[in-house]
Amino acid sequence: MVAPLRNKVETSRAYWTFVIPAFFLYLLVFAFPIVLSVILSVSNYNGGKLFGGDAWTIVGFQQYEKLINDPNFWMALKNNVYIVLISVFGQIPLGFVLAYLIYRKIVKWGEGWQAILYVPAIISVIVLGMMWKLVFAPNGVLADVMNGMYAETFLTSLKHIVQSAGGLTHVTDDFVKQLMNISNAASLQSFAHPVSDLKDLIVGGGYTDQNLPVFLSDMKNLLAPTWSPDFLNQQDVSMVPIMFVTLWCWTGMYLILFHANMQKIDDQIIEAARIDGASELQVMWNVIVPNLSGVIANAAILCIAGSLNTFALIWAMTEGGPMHITQVLAIYMYQNAFVGHPNFPLANAISLAIVLFSFLLIGVTLYIEKKFGGKQA
Amino acid sequence: MKRNRVLGGVGKGVAYLVMGLFTLMTIYPIVWLVINSFKSTAEYQIDKISLPKEWIFSNYTGAWSLGTFDQLIGNSILYTALASAGSILLAVLAAFAFAKLKHKATGPIYGSFVLGILLSITSLMVPLFLQVSQMDKVIGDILQAFGWMKSEDFHLFYNTRFGMILIYIGAGLPMAVYLCTEYVKSIPDSLVEAARIDGAGYFQIFWRIILPMSTPIATTVAVLTVPNVWNEFALINIIISSMDQKSLPLGILRFSSALSSDYGKQFAALVIGLAPMLIFYIAFRKQITKGVSGGAVKG
Repeated sequence: MVAPLRNKVETSRAYWTFVIPAFFLYLLVFAFPIVLSVILSVSNYNGGKLFGGDAWTIVGFQQYEKLINDPNFWMALKNNVYIVLISVFGQIPLGFVLAYLIYRKIVKWGEGWQAILYVPAIISVIVLGMMWKLVFAPNGVLADVMNGMYAETFLTSLKHIVQSAGGLTHVTDDFVKQLMNISNAASLQSFAHPVSDLKDLIVGGGYTDQNLPVFLSDMKNLLAPTWSPDFLNQQDVSMVPIMFVTLWCWTGMYLILFHANMQKIDDQIIEAARIDGASELQVMWNVIVPNLSGVIANAAILCIAGSLNTFALIWAMTEGGPMHITQVLAIYMYQNAFVGHPNFPLANAISLAIVLFSFLLIGVTLYIEKKFGGKQA
Repeated sequence: MKRNRVLGGVGKGVAYLVMGLFTLMTIYPIVWLVINSFKSTAEYQIDKISLPKEWIFSNYTGAWSLGTFDQLIGNSILYTALASAGSILLAVLAAFAFAKLKHKATGPIYGSFVLGILLSITSLMVPLFLQVSQMDKVIGDILQAFGWMKSEDFHLFYNTRFGMILIYIGAGLPMAVYLCTEYVKSIPDSLVEAARIDGAGYFQIFWRIILPMSTPIATTVAVLTVPNVWNEFALINIIISSMDQKSLPLGILRFSSALSSDYGKQFAALVIGLAPMLIFYIAFRKQITKGVSGGAVKG
């Protein structure tokens, strides 16, 4: 069919009419901001009008220098690497193994498990982050449960001590010392002379064998060790709850992804391997993993892109605090742009850094898949 | 055949244990959340685990009015519906051009969309914020220069629903364009050619053939876009500053800071926050699972 000229013009016009709305919005949301961040990151622009406001000029790479010398940047980068690691080496393998259990019908009700495990992935991370904050907070559930356990242990030991002392009739120094051994060190500090003071307290308190429960409960309230979530204020350790929640949120998504793609694999390969005497573990590692290497690489790429941009979950849990120790790159960028004295050039440099890191890690992933990946399913 | 003996008894036991443990860990915190939303704050502080002694519903009414949730949910529905519909319409349009109209620009433009899948608007939030607010300033200056407007404070994109929806449409486009283009490619060329010979214009072909035939992929894009927009936080947090235009997640977060000591209402707010997407998931689980299987979600 010879296309007449009118036809060709019409096709070209239709083509651009169809493409331009989408392409324009795409440029507006992705391309222009990247160009803008390249320019602003080497400028001295700091708020106000870009056009017709205070003059600003290109001043060079000093913001990048500042970035490299800022310990907060390295901390945010390190925290972000933790998130990437738990995502790539936590969510993906875990999702894979769970998918395998369902795929091989090692567990029944596959659809049911899968349906439930995906639930966190669809709910706002703000809601989930706040929920986990209520669990991990110093006055949260975890602290309550731990304190309860500490109190239980304390009571059991105390009962032992009372029993071996033959009741409360003869309170000896030895008894008090044993009590002190199981007590909270911080509570003991409120006594000037713990041994004699405590002895006075117990003898003077009128405790007898008849009201032993009262004695136990008073001692528990006064002296039982308490669980302190102080470790959450430590650098690195404070990332553990966040990493846990990251794993908790997204594993179900990879489960679905891998399970769907496992179903495309020819059953006969697996049966043949099984008849040849391969164990389930061997089948998974030698048959399924190579077959899905392309899918795994894709998952890793999306995983890296997603976890380098993690923001809302951590914002809901800690806002990057205390003292910046749970900051990731996106939060570090936000802080520099919108908190206190804004430094837009620096924030733009961070924005670019995130984009570059994503592409770097994705490049590495593609390289690994090309070099070590098996044949496509 | 040892078909039935996939794993020994012990192996099966371990498998069930692992599966059960993970499922319990997923579901229990959410159940815990719902249970606590019916406790008074005082009761929660004493006992954070057990069922409420007295089931209180006032947490919900209190949280609802305090959080102005009727307005926020209305906004969220507006953002989600228009952004999803917009993404789908523009994506199928572009997909039609990329897949069925031969043009030398397809390579670079389609390629840039695919590359865009790897970009996230979160990482671009600062330049995007600057761009959006500066665009308003430029338009405002022009309007002022012509004397069409007195005040300098002109907003078309920043802090407007219109601007936010445009950004959400743009943010969803790379993935939507990719999925739709791959799908439209599978529609036979002969359908388009036959319609051309019958004298149909490209717009007619789009409305009568391509768009109706793209319903399955449009559904997939919709079920993936809806939770993305509904749950989005980072951008709307900086683009929208007035309370009456914010979305549900921003309203929920307020219960974490200023209102954090009122646990009863906070729990109720969290349940209000998770309910819409949970219902959406229950209603469209099959389609969502299918969409996720394509590997089209960033984690």
